[in-house]
Amino acid sequence: MAYHSFLLEPISCHAWNKDRTQIALCPNNHEVHIYRKDGAKWSKVHELKEHNGQVTGIDWAPESNRLVTCGTDRNAYVWTLKGNVWKPTLVILRINRAARCVKWSPKENKFAVGSGSRLISICYFEQENDWWVCKHIKKPIRSTVLSLDWHPNNVLLAAGSCDFKCRIFSAYIKEVEERPSPTPWGSKMPFGELMFESSSSCGWVHSICFSASGARVAWVSHDSTLCLADANKKMAVASLCTETLPLLAVTFITENSLVAAGHDCYPMLFTYEESQGALTFGGKLDVPKQSSQRGLTARERFQNLDKKASSDTANATLDTLHKNSIRHISVLAGGKANCSQFCTTGMDGGMSIWDVKSLESALKDLKIK
Amino acid sequence: DPRRRGDALRAFHSALRGCPGASGNPAAKEQAQGTVLKVLTSFKSSDIEQAVNSLDRNGVDLLMKYIYKGFEKPTENSSAILLQWHEKALAVGGLGSIVRVLTARKTV
Repeated sequence: MAYHSFLLEPISCHAWNKDRTQIALCPNNHEVHIYRKDGAKWSKVHELKEHNGQVTGIDWAPESNRLVTCGTDRNAYVWTLKGNVWKPTLVILRINRAARCVKWSPKENKFAVGSGSRLISICYFEQENDWWVCKHIKKPIRSTVLSLDWHPNNVLLAAGSCDFKCRIFSAYIKEVEERPSPTPWGSKMPFGELMFESSSSCGWVHSICFSASGARVAWVSHDSTLCLADANKKMAVASLCTETLPLLAVTFITENSLVAAGHDCYPMLFTYEESQGALTFGGKLDVPKQSSQRGLTARERFQNLDKKASSDTANATLDTLHKNSIRHISVLAGGKANCSQFCTTGMDGGMSIWDVKSLESALKDLKIK
Repeated sequence: DPRRRGDALRAFHSALRGCPGASGNPAAKEQAQGTVLKVLTSFKSSDIEQAVNSLDRNGVDLLMKYIYKGFEKPTENSSAILLQWHEKALAVGGLGSIVRVLTARKTV
């Protein structure tokens, strides 16, 4: 487990380039900083300054090497590397509230931006005008869109919102692509079509993720639940009420296994049992250092009893790698079908790279299916 | 004695099951709260853990909601016994069960 402390401030969002030698992150301000790996060290190589508000989303297109950023200034910029300088191009999103998340589509010919304007802007490049234009998906979103993820077919888009729902829309743009073939989520996919909508959980949907095949979508909500909808089971939803604080980020690491993390500051494994249509907790993925267990004094024991009504001897300091909430998870190697490495960034300004094989050997009861 | 413990456990389960939920009018909810509170306070401290362990995940979440509802209107000795219930329910439901008390749209 490699942990690097970039900042004393929270890392708002991050994105990796294709070969994972560079990471772009927002250091809780209006800028995007790009760091490059130099052996064991990280050195800052670029500072992207264009936004007038906090940068809330960054995505790095692996093939075309373009960055897209969005921020609370209601703007999005597409950045292209010219020589050794990143040049921004403004994209008019036509929103009147902050942008909250942005994702390139798999073919990198479109990107989607979720915002506080209760809609999703689907942006694509119009060759004739040499300009990025956008179309809006509005109905039936009732609140801020917090998270987005594209289906591998480049058309379907999953969106998690503050109105407690997970939805899958069609973001088909006839100007840039062929009509999509039928999927388990449906066959008719005109732009803006609602293919799936979850019944209300009771929490803002912080993060949402399609599986590698696109047949499953999972999301985490602020009511400490993890849910998964399976298109191959007539979109049946399996949900798990966790014993943890709310999770803020989730990703598939195989077709049946998920890693999620949040306010408890450590990533954890969940498994989807297809036959039973059930989600189960698979274990905590943070291997704490062996800290010396000192006993409590009588005074501390009494204070515990007085304050918390419990005689629990567990100490209150965090023995996890991250010292504050984890906000984002990204898959580094192996894709969502067979992830071998993933990365977490959080409010402690730190970035951690987790190796799946090392975790499997270190945690004996861990079963990744 | 085991027979008395069995009766208390049965009363506990039926009180929780009989909750009117979101559809209940305020009077029905008030009555259900009263019943659950009466059952909870009638338990011996040593029997609480077994009762909590007999619940499934949804049952623990529901119990947590009633515990916090009970905290809202404390009576003579209710908070003390509710704190004991809270400790046992927390051990099984974790912080997630408390989060779901806070985020629930439907109150008990």
